[in-house]
Amino acid sequence: MQSVLQELKNVNYSVISEYIIRRISEYITESGKNGGIIGLSGGIDSSVTTVLLSKATQNYFILLMPSSSTPQKDMEDAKKIINMIGANNKYKIINIDTILESFKNEIKTNDKLVLGNIKARIRMILLYAYSQIMNYLVIGTGDKSELLLGYFTKYGDGGVDILPIGDLYKTQVRELGRYLGLPEDIVTKPSSPALWEGQTAEGELGVSYDIIDAVLYLRVEKMMDIDSIAKELQINVDIVRKIDRMVKTSQHKRLPPEIFRLSGRAINSDWRYPREWI
Amino acid sequence: MDIELAQIRPKLGDVEYNLEKHLEIIQTSSADCIIFPELSLTGYVLRDLVYEVFKEAEKAVTKIVDNSKCVIFGTIKEVRSGILRNSAVISIEGNYDYIYKFYLPTYGLFEERRYFQPGDPLSDVKIFKYKGINFGVVICEDAWHPEPIEALALKGADAVFIPASSPMRRLEENLLIENNWESLIKAHSLMYGIWTAFVNAVGSQEEEYFWGGSMVSSPQGTIKVRARKFEEDRIFTKIDLEDVRKARFFSSFRDHNRDFHRLLSNL
Repeated sequence: MQSVLQELKNVNYSVISEYIIRRISEYITESGKNGGIIGLSGGIDSSVTTVLLSKATQNYFILLMPSSSTPQKDMEDAKKIINMIGANNKYKIINIDTILESFKNEIKTNDKLVLGNIKARIRMILLYAYSQIMNYLVIGTGDKSELLLGYFTKYGDGGVDILPIGDLYKTQVRELGRYLGLPEDIVTKPSSPALWEGQTAEGELGVSYDIIDAVLYLRVEKMMDIDSIAKELQINVDIVRKIDRMVKTSQHKRLPPEIFRLSGRAINSDWRYPREWI
Repeated sequence: MDIELAQIRPKLGDVEYNLEKHLEIIQTSSADCIIFPELSLTGYVLRDLVYEVFKEAEKAVTKIVDNSKCVIFGTIKEVRSGILRNSAVISIEGNYDYIYKFYLPTYGLFEERRYFQPGDPLSDVKIFKYKGINFGVVICEDAWHPEPIEALALKGADAVFIPASSPMRRLEENLLIENNWESLIKAHSLMYGIWTAFVNAVGSQEEEYFWGGSMVSSPQGTIKVRARKFEEDRIFTKIDLEDVRKARFFSSFRDHNRDFHRLLSNL
């Protein structure tokens, strides 16, 4: 396990951060936008992405969008990042509880999953509202581990313009955070969407991100089969199966909506024009 | 012969913009010959845009030819109606010719066979001469196979220019693809006693990002000049025949054994 994690972590964070910073900056320019807006939760992913964004452009804005289920520590950590990058005049706090309340009254449910996803989508709507006002891009904060597991809300935290750290596993993001000089307690903080109290990614999945990342890395990057992965990592094969299953069943979340093909050139399946249309 | 490697950032599908960039560099260069990246007139990750830009690119070719001494650049050539090839134009003093990519990558992120027909080695291996230097050109993936450059060297090339569009991929300890290209061009130089110049594109095209880092290896396998990574850059070097001569005095290039190719043709 340790050797796999070591291999996974052993990448050049200087090259990676230079690359991501440059790409954010260039993408903003190429898309004709003036800057980037980001939702900062105080977790590792949004903290790393915020720091990268602040290095890519002077024109960024941060929204803190707490709800009653947001731990106080997360808000404190978000402030630490804001101080670290000197963004004291570039952020706003919007408590989303009252917005959530009106949704709740309308749909009459207390289902925590439904309400949790609504929270994520409220945040998306706020980010896009500000992005339009400021002519900024919405900078997403999802990492490769979450994206692969489908551990995000479709059109919530998944509804963004770019995902700068979307090709880095969680453990790599933590290393990148260390490289960027983030406070160690943010770097090591357990990952949590905080959509309801006590929610943590690892608690929900039942395994640590070390295991998840080692499995994903061997499955996706090294293209190993399930039994070999369990053997290599000396873990129960059911854990590998579960992770593999999550990747498969969440594929629909990573793709644009399916269009049923009729014509000779259907959008997406045949019509392969690039996004960089001129 | 003084050459310039024009490491540009083509705008995907914007032939007019790319043409202007070519002309600007040509007008401001002091080099004898300028080499641009693969598909420099059109951009690389075109997908179906290929069908919409190739005619405009063909028109742009003559504008470059009319305004240059010696220039090598990338474009799409319609060799017969509806048959397109990933090509490089070799333009020398008002005359020009095309070379075509032989090996079209389809692995990983590449899907060139969907759009292009490969060149035919029996008719499309060509040598050009300018300022006393015989040179050949191969496009990107062709440098990852021994035969195209070996064929050029045996046909008399003293230098081989490699227009390329090499994207970032595979996180490793370093930028592995850069190390790979360096090894490749050094190996070609050492094996055949030639100058080898790799000219990469730079910047983003869709999800792909071209890392730049163009470089030239002398026939002795030394990197003579190297462009910046992630940025447009223009670098210069002198292609000197004396280095070719010296390298070949002390190499086994002359000892080509054709029976190996007979063996390969039956495998």
